[in-house]
Amino acid sequence: MAIETDLDLMLRVRDGDAASFEVLLRRYRLPMVSYFRRMVRDQSLAEDLAQEVFLRVYKSRERYQPEAKFTTWLYRIATNLALNTIRDRRDEVSGSGDDDGEGLSVLERFIDPCPTVEQRLVQRDRERLIRQSVESLPENQRAAVILHKYQEVDYRQIAGILSVSESAVKSLLFRAYETLRLRLEPLLREGQI
Amino acid sequence: MKCLETEILTSYAYRLIDEAAASEVRRHQEGCSRCRKIVEQHGRLDAVLNEWQPAEPTPGFDVRVREAVATLEAQRKGWGFWGWRWARGLALAALGVMIVAGVVRYGHNHGGVSRSSELAMRQPQRATGARNSGQSPNPQTLSETAQAQVTPPQHAPEPGSTVATSSDDKDALAMEDYDLAANFDLLSEIPKGERRVAN
Repeated sequence: MAIETDLDLMLRVRDGDAASFEVLLRRYRLPMVSYFRRMVRDQSLAEDLAQEVFLRVYKSRERYQPEAKFTTWLYRIATNLALNTIRDRRDEVSGSGDDDGEGLSVLERFIDPCPTVEQRLVQRDRERLIRQSVESLPENQRAAVILHKYQEVDYRQIAGILSVSESAVKSLLFRAYETLRLRLEPLLREGQI
Repeated sequence: MKCLETEILTSYAYRLIDEAAASEVRRHQEGCSRCRKIVEQHGRLDAVLNEWQPAEPTPGFDVRVREAVATLEAQRKGWGFWGWRWARGLALAALGVMIVAGVVRYGHNHGGVSRSSELAMRQPQRATGARNSGQSPNPQTLSETAQAQVTPPQHAPEPGSTVATSSDDKDALAMEDYDLAANFDLLSEIPKGERRVAN
């Protein structure tokens, strides 16, 4: 059985087919939650926002016009939600500090000499450094790089999602990746050794 | 050899440039270690960024979405055409009640009971009280009382209150005269020697 395209499914959702909405939900639940998790950090909030995206898709199904790719429309809704949330929570996030509670204390690092734990801690520190570097990017650069790198969205499509020109997206991505290259240089050096 | 701009190198590393420009970068970096290093660093950056793992939705996420959609659908059906008609009817009824309540309140605050009818209600009580006391009223006292009663009240009308009309005043005076006549003892005004008893 051929895989149904998003467009076909969405047109059926528009005609009142609940099963097609279910297929879209299963197809995009992970990309949506992952996208929001990387954009807003908080898991619970990420799931709330992902749920809101599906609700908005359902609400506006009767007005859906297949002018652009379904994912462009989906990520446009998601990106607007994410950026608005980031702006609303900016003060809160900036006041919360760098530590998100995922890391272990200095004491724990000294107490447990097990190499596997040490490796785990190193991996966690690396991941935290990467996350912080991406999060410190300006909003549009962050959205562009997460869409491009993690959601594997083409830069032409990103232009449609962010409502900017393709050259503007290239510029956003160039600046974002170049900033990340400089910030994450220690990790890049390690990889060289 | 002049190095390429960093923007071109970065764009090449992330496949953001067309094939012709990409070929030029490939040729250039073969003979330029600096540019080759930058491209290699971006290749490693791409691998390092993969270490940031995606987040799985927690169990129950799908159920929550389905419930939210079902709630939305129920609301939409409940507030469809008929739902809105009910809401409109309810709103109109509420508006009607508010208007009636407003009219009643307005009448209460602005003396809905007229002065003449107040007086009309008060006079018989006063006359009855005088008769019940068993004393015949002194004519002088009565005339003073009548004068006092005829004299309009000196207090200023309350703001917004309606002033009694001239016809109201006439009615009130007529009622006062009627009251005096009803209580006046004509025999007490005639000296006893001049009284004739009618046969």
